[in-house]
Amino acid sequence: MGDASAVARESQDKDKRYDRQIRIWGKDGQRKLETANVCLLGAGPTGSEAMKNLVLGGVSSYTIVDGTKVTERDLGNNFLMDKSSLGQSKAECCSRLLQDFNESVSGRFVAETPEQLMDAKPDFFDGFDLVLATQLTSAYQHKLCDICRKSGARVVFGRSYGLFGLVRISASEHTVVESKPDNVLLHLRVKDPWPELAEYASNFDLESLDDMTYKHVPYVVLLIKLAEAWKLGHGGNLPQGRAEQRDFKAFVRSQQRRRRGEPEGVADEGENFREAVENAHYLWSPPGVPSEISRYFADPACEEITSASSHFWVCMAAVKDFVAERSGGALPLPGSIPDMTATTDLYLDLKRLYDSKAEEDCDWVFDRAIQILSRTPGADPSALGRDYVKGFCKNCAHVKVLRFPTVRQEQEGFLGGASQSSYLQSLLLSEDTAENAFVYLMLHAADRFRQTHGHFPGKFDDGVQEDVGGVKSIVSSALSEAGLPTIPVAEEYVQELCRCGAGEIHTVAAVVGGIVAEEAIKLLTEQFVPLSGTLVYNAIRSTTLRIGKF
Amino acid sequence: MSGTCSVSGAREACLGSRVLCVGAGGIGCELLKTLVLSGFSNITVIDMDTIEVSNLNRQFLFRRRHVGQSKAKVAREASLRINPKAKIVAHHANIKEDQFDVDFFKSFDCVLNGLDNLEARRHVNRMALAASVPLVESGTAGYRGQVTVHIKGETECFECQPKPIPKKYPVCTIRNTPDKPIHCIVWAKDLLFPRLFGGEAVGAEAEREDEGKNGGEDEGKDRSDIEVSERAEGQPAVEYGCVVLREVYGDAIARLAAVEDMWKDREPPTPLSSDVIAAGRAIVQGRARGGDDKVPTSASLALGLSDSHATWSAEQSAAVFLMAVEILLDGHADRVGKLGFDKEFPLSVDFVTAASNLRSHCYGIEPKSSFDVKGMAGNIIHAIATTNAIISGLIVLEAQKLLLRGLRQDDDGATLTPWTTFVQHNPTGGRLLQRIKPLPPNPKCYVCSKAQVVMEANTGLMTLGRLVDDVLRKALAFAEPTVTVGSTMHYECGDDLEEDERERYDALRKRSLGDLPGDPIGHGSLVQVEDFSQEMSVELLVCHREPREGEDPDFFEVKGEVKGQDGGRGGEDEPEGEGDSDSDDLCVVEEAVGEKRKGAGQEEPAKRQRAS
Ligand SMILES: [Zn+2]
Repeated sequence: MGDASAVARESQDKDKRYDRQIRIWGKDGQRKLETANVCLLGAGPTGSEAMKNLVLGGVSSYTIVDGTKVTERDLGNNFLMDKSSLGQSKAECCSRLLQDFNESVSGRFVAETPEQLMDAKPDFFDGFDLVLATQLTSAYQHKLCDICRKSGARVVFGRSYGLFGLVRISASEHTVVESKPDNVLLHLRVKDPWPELAEYASNFDLESLDDMTYKHVPYVVLLIKLAEAWKLGHGGNLPQGRAEQRDFKAFVRSQQRRRRGEPEGVADEGENFREAVENAHYLWSPPGVPSEISRYFADPACEEITSASSHFWVCMAAVKDFVAERSGGALPLPGSIPDMTATTDLYLDLKRLYDSKAEEDCDWVFDRAIQILSRTPGADPSALGRDYVKGFCKNCAHVKVLRFPTVRQEQEGFLGGASQSSYLQSLLLSEDTAENAFVYLMLHAADRFRQTHGHFPGKFDDGVQEDVGGVKSIVSSALSEAGLPTIPVAEEYVQELCRCGAGEIHTVAAVVGGIVAEEAIKLLTEQFVPLSGTLVYNAIRSTTLRIGKF
Repeated sequence: MSGTCSVSGAREACLGSRVLCVGAGGIGCELLKTLVLSGFSNITVIDMDTIEVSNLNRQFLFRRRHVGQSKAKVAREASLRINPKAKIVAHHANIKEDQFDVDFFKSFDCVLNGLDNLEARRHVNRMALAASVPLVESGTAGYRGQVTVHIKGETECFECQPKPIPKKYPVCTIRNTPDKPIHCIVWAKDLLFPRLFGGEAVGAEAEREDEGKNGGEDEGKDRSDIEVSERAEGQPAVEYGCVVLREVYGDAIARLAAVEDMWKDREPPTPLSSDVIAAGRAIVQGRARGGDDKVPTSASLALGLSDSHATWSAEQSAAVFLMAVEILLDGHADRVGKLGFDKEFPLSVDFVTAASNLRSHCYGIEPKSSFDVKGMAGNIIHAIATTNAIISGLIVLEAQKLLLRGLRQDDDGATLTPWTTFVQHNPTGGRLLQRIKPLPPNPKCYVCSKAQVVMEANTGLMTLGRLVDDVLRKALAFAEPTVTVGSTMHYECGDDLEEDERERYDALRKRSLGDLPGDPIGHGSLVQVEDFSQEMSVELLVCHREPREGEDPDFFEVKGEVKGQDGGRGGEDEPEGEGDSDSDDLCVVEEAVGEKRKGAGQEEPAKRQRAS
């Protein structure tokens, strides 16, 4: 009893603490966050910023990897370090101070460099759901990418370099049910109403309604009824082509009643008729199966369900069957209707109709998904809950599958040679994207510079100008190898790069760390669509550019 | 080795500068940290709020042990730990106080806003204009945010674009014919809760009653005219709660349902059955009592309803209603009569959830969970650490550019151009950061361009009091308006008024505009409005007209209110007004918030029929 109430109190307490964010990603998203084990590589300003945001959000645990000690320089640059930290392990300090941010998160640290760990103990990364990799050079990005593809951890790379930043994600596959798009198409089924909806609409005797009710017949009903009426006079066909569609709209308008005493032609404007005209296009172009979803239907992951298939793909396969065998081309009904002009009762009637149809569709998909699992050797049908299927059906027009290229694939794709250069060339030639495409190239040049010189350009104050020349020659040879043009501000940018000496500026770290954490949260909560490609941040211009072919 | 660098010279510019940071909430915490780490060493921070548990998921300078303490002071101490050399002054105060006058603002090189309510943001805008100090404004909502830069005479001011207007609901919908959950929630929060435990309804979202019909004599009359018996001497609170349920949800609904005219086109509501009341009471009486005598903090928790995402049955709602009435009346007897709805006060959330759901039950409207009701009643805005962190970085970069502009006149301007930057919610859909060039000042802006404001009103009915309170203070955001027509001063305010002056103005407040002595206000009158605290003045051209059909007889329309310029963006996409966290005096306007449709928060305006 006492335990139960203590648990209830703790849960209430968490509800309170996380209230504002649960309003974004829901209880389910929060639960996923609270079971996530996250590893941070690099406890510098960018890494600390990123991890801070996740600790505040309430991940299950964090592990901080950093092999350096706190120096005087870190004090002014990292909010987690103070004077007493001098000389201590940066990973330890960072871990200790982050712990204070949220008592329900457990933290530990490893005082080794990420590079050492990757080289010596690649299995260290087993068991993490997510790795935040900050300030890694290209070579170690490749390495981590390979390690984590094997272990199954997702990686968010973040890098602040002077006034520039880079963020990218690596994961072999990420699926999203709740993609939360800005615009959702309505699934009204006015073109092909299912029997109950058709019957409901046909029961309306528009003629006999009093004027008030007439103005509050939901437009869904109007469209179904008027489409039937239209078909009678058009050989059983719905409006075809622009002209007929225009005529149909005029026909809808003509059905408005005249206000008593008003002359011919002055209609008693009913909002519901206006809405019917506005939504008439659902009669001739209803949202069918979006092309993206059709592609997923044809995906090998959908066609060959195995015991290793995720519930996402099992549901996809079941929905594919639903479309082919059950609905004649329509996706399962999401089960919500938009607000519309109607009396409360009529609105509630409609809502019930759509809701129960959605439940019915979901039942079918659920049964089919269970059948699929039952005939799949080694699969456990009992592990699939109806709630998941319901969520899938509700969102199935907007689900997403993301497969991220490896870091190596991406870099070879952009920098590998003339055959791949047309994409980057188009970026460098367009005024809009040239500067940030150049930044991307330049940061790679900085890594190449470090490989040959053993230090980042501009690291030593007296060698800055010399390093500027070095970077410029790397950049221009890379550009000319690939047959790419250079850009007018190249000089200014290379100067800026070298002036920074690979230092992390706090404003940039705050922005890059914030973006890294945001992408991490999207991955962990499996909501919203995470970033694909590499995001370049340019603090000089206050711009970002996403680079990548999708 | 140059470890820390920036736009060249930025660090030096920061070192010698003085910045004012208004707000120490979600954006404020991030901002202070980023400021002290970027070399700003002379910072003043102002915030009137104290720390709440629900701040801790993002306001990272605060810990659980700080709950209840001043945000400004705790934020100062925490920032000093990050950079002990910084000089930080903290004021636990309202930015609108007299001590923060134009001279105060003039003592800064730059003002940075991380505010959560529109009223304060408009005030700071005026103060910054009056003091000719550049202002960096910001706001976030969920994954989205924006930073704007306002330089007097060069870029538009914060008020050059129209701001979203808080949502209001027609009174008859709230009182008689609700058809959406929000209508019942507004009724429970603004009418029933104050009737039983308040206090005047604060921030009432129900549109003003058509008071003033009688010449505005009953100004300030109690709007919550819900008929309820008073509690009898010695009557147990739960018994009294049952009386309230019977009267408000039984008798009153039955009376309303009997008004046939009202239900010609809709189902009349069903009075709450006595079975539900009895069942609710049985739940309350049968509950397991804890061993301690402490007053429960939550009625729902005391009844074992711990899942805030679940919706209660009608019986459970009745039980929570009775339980909340008991705890509030008996456990908080000293505060009854002064209580207002507070989203951080669980009992008021419990009560409003139960009371609104019972009403929804009568009207056949779907019930809502207490989590949802809390969000809708408290106008809660989504808030996360990540967006605030990104925004703070952008604010400081803009601030550094502003400071460098002062030092480097010779610059070609390219790198120091101020930008309005939007943080988008979905980087895949476009760009994570979207920047646009700030627009020049809007010549139609009455705040920064001294444009004339046109007000349409019924001058025979509108009182001077309504002009001052609703038009000048609320709609035009004046703090201390002075009203002059021709040579006659009709109204002044401030602490330094003589007693007899105050009495005279109080008497004038009750008179209609057309009936003011000396120079009455009528069609074509030019009214000079001045505010010495904001160093602002406006010329108000009055147009008299009779109300249109169906319009509030005491309507007013402020027409000179800035409209978007041609080609302007009209501010349609800004997560405006929600600074860093939510606020009680702010209604989110739906268009402003990206994730609103998925979240529990706001709803679309109902299109369903209302009999009124
Ligand atoms: Zn303006």
